[in-house]
Amino acid sequence: MGTSVDVSYVFEYFFRLLPSVGITMKIVVLSLLIGSAVGMLVALPRLYRIPVLQRLSQVYVSFFRGTPLLIQLFLIYYGLPELLKLAAIDVSRMPVLVFVVTAYALHSGAFISEAIRAAVGAVDRGQVEAGYAIGMTGFQAFRRVVLPQAIAVAMPVLGNLIIANLKDTSLAFSLGIMELTGKAQTLPTMSQRFFESYLALALLYFILSFILEKLLYRLERRLLRHEAADGAAASRIRRRRVKEGDASGRLNLTEEGALR
Amino acid sequence: MIALKEIRKSFGRHEVLKGIDLEVEKGEVVAILGPSGSGKTALLRCISYLERPGSGRMQIGDVAVDCSHPSKKDIHRLRGRSAMVFQQYHLFRHKTALQNVMEGLVVVQNVPKEEARLRSVELLGKVGLGAKLDAYPSQLSGGQQQRVGIARALALDPDVILFDEPTSALDPELVGEVLAVIRKIAREGITMIIVTHEMAFAQEVASRIVFMDDGAVIEEGPASEFFRSPREERTRQFLRRMTPEAVYNI
Ligand SMILES: Nc1ncnc2c1ncn2[C@@H]1O[C@H](COP(=O)(O)OP(=O)(O)OP(=O)(O)O)[C@@H](O)[C@H]1O
Ligand SMILES: [Mg+2]
Repeated sequence: MGTSVDVSYVFEYFFRLLPSVGITMKIVVLSLLIGSAVGMLVALPRLYRIPVLQRLSQVYVSFFRGTPLLIQLFLIYYGLPELLKLAAIDVSRMPVLVFVVTAYALHSGAFISEAIRAAVGAVDRGQVEAGYAIGMTGFQAFRRVVLPQAIAVAMPVLGNLIIANLKDTSLAFSLGIMELTGKAQTLPTMSQRFFESYLALALLYFILSFILEKLLYRLERRLLRHEAADGAAASRIRRRRVKEGDASGRLNLTEEGALR
Repeated sequence: MIALKEIRKSFGRHEVLKGIDLEVEKGEVVAILGPSGSGKTALLRCISYLERPGSGRMQIGDVAVDCSHPSKKDIHRLRGRSAMVFQQYHLFRHKTALQNVMEGLVVVQNVPKEEARLRSVELLGKVGLGAKLDAYPSQLSGGQQQRVGIARALALDPDVILFDEPTSALDPELVGEVLAVIRKIAREGITMIIVTHEMAFAQEVASRIVFMDDGAVIEEGPASEFFRSPREERTRQFLRRMTPEAVYNI
């Protein structure tokens, strides 16, 4: 190994890593899409207090929040085929990527469901009643009134989740996926310039996170454009929120009319 | 037009509506008065079916429901016949004034978007907000928000509009503009039930007053008679507390 850092290697590796951004982003995007759907589905039983499903979703969330992601990757890679074998489904020819995406989707799904649950609780009950009063069904009120506002409220938390998800994909190499981190480990086998390779890798993750952060921030601003931009109005809104929170209590979707 | 028969409602063991009978003719403006906790809000919430009455019969327009065992379809149809203006406005905060008014037309009544837009613009004009179509609730004063709330209720062309203390969350200087709008639509012959603590306004705008106490209707009558010569002792007590002499002695 060389005595000092050779910047030219950092550059070289940086550019040789670029093609692997695709596979990393593929994991991020697919797992977040599926994870959002899973998170939504898992949040519903708890929001609507559906007896047995509510417990199940709690267990699911605790498990995926309470165990290391790396272990989850292995459990799903080795365990899922066995489980599916019981149902006479053979997945031995399935690409590894499918298992990786499944694991990341289930992992982020647990966090997303918690974010959605908290955010739905922050949308005031009065607007839902206003929806019913103009004749909406429970489903319409949820979709048109609660969800858009809940997503806006959850955006900062979801943003953190997305960035975390990007960084977590670096674990996928342990199942042999040649994403950014996997690639970065193979590049210096000849030169032995591992430090330079990891430096280029860190730089690349940082740039990706930075871009994502900016995009998410703009999205958040857009989603919250209905809450006035100027400081005075914003604090008025906060005060109003606090006041209403006391008066009408938290949103309780189990009441009359919810989700028919 | 609207007929309530023996409407009862309990929260746990506490009966807050003890068999309410009420009939409202088309075009009538009825003001409901009564001390705090007498069940005025509970009654309006039952009429709009935001709360389920325990028993009784209810008819609004051509929809009649037996409240002991209503079907989901009944409830949905009944809700479609009334509209509500809330004390706290409850506008959809992620939608502009125009979108708030259009929402019911487009989503519930399936009116084509362009038609809904035209009607909503007209209604916002009527409540004096023609220049605020694209403002979000957070950019509007309380009085303006409540006027959007009124336009949203009007848009649905309901058989009755229910007002629950529409001005009591407002700063005093904003009360007038909202009352003016209610006065205006009252003159257009829209059926309304208004819960209010504004005695002078009730006397002026309502054709009939209903006085409630402790979950029951104690007394009702034409507005002029009600204030001049209340029959029940409880009504007299209430009016003494609520009104300056000048109004009481008209
Ligand atoms: N969700 C609820 N759970 C339990 N009790 C309730 C609930 N809502 C209202 N009540 C009770 O029902 C009674 C009638 O309340 P309601 O809000 O209808 O009174 P009101 O006449 O509108 O009073 P105000 O003039 O203060 O608005 C009160 O005793 C109140 O405590
Ligand atoms: Mg009340």
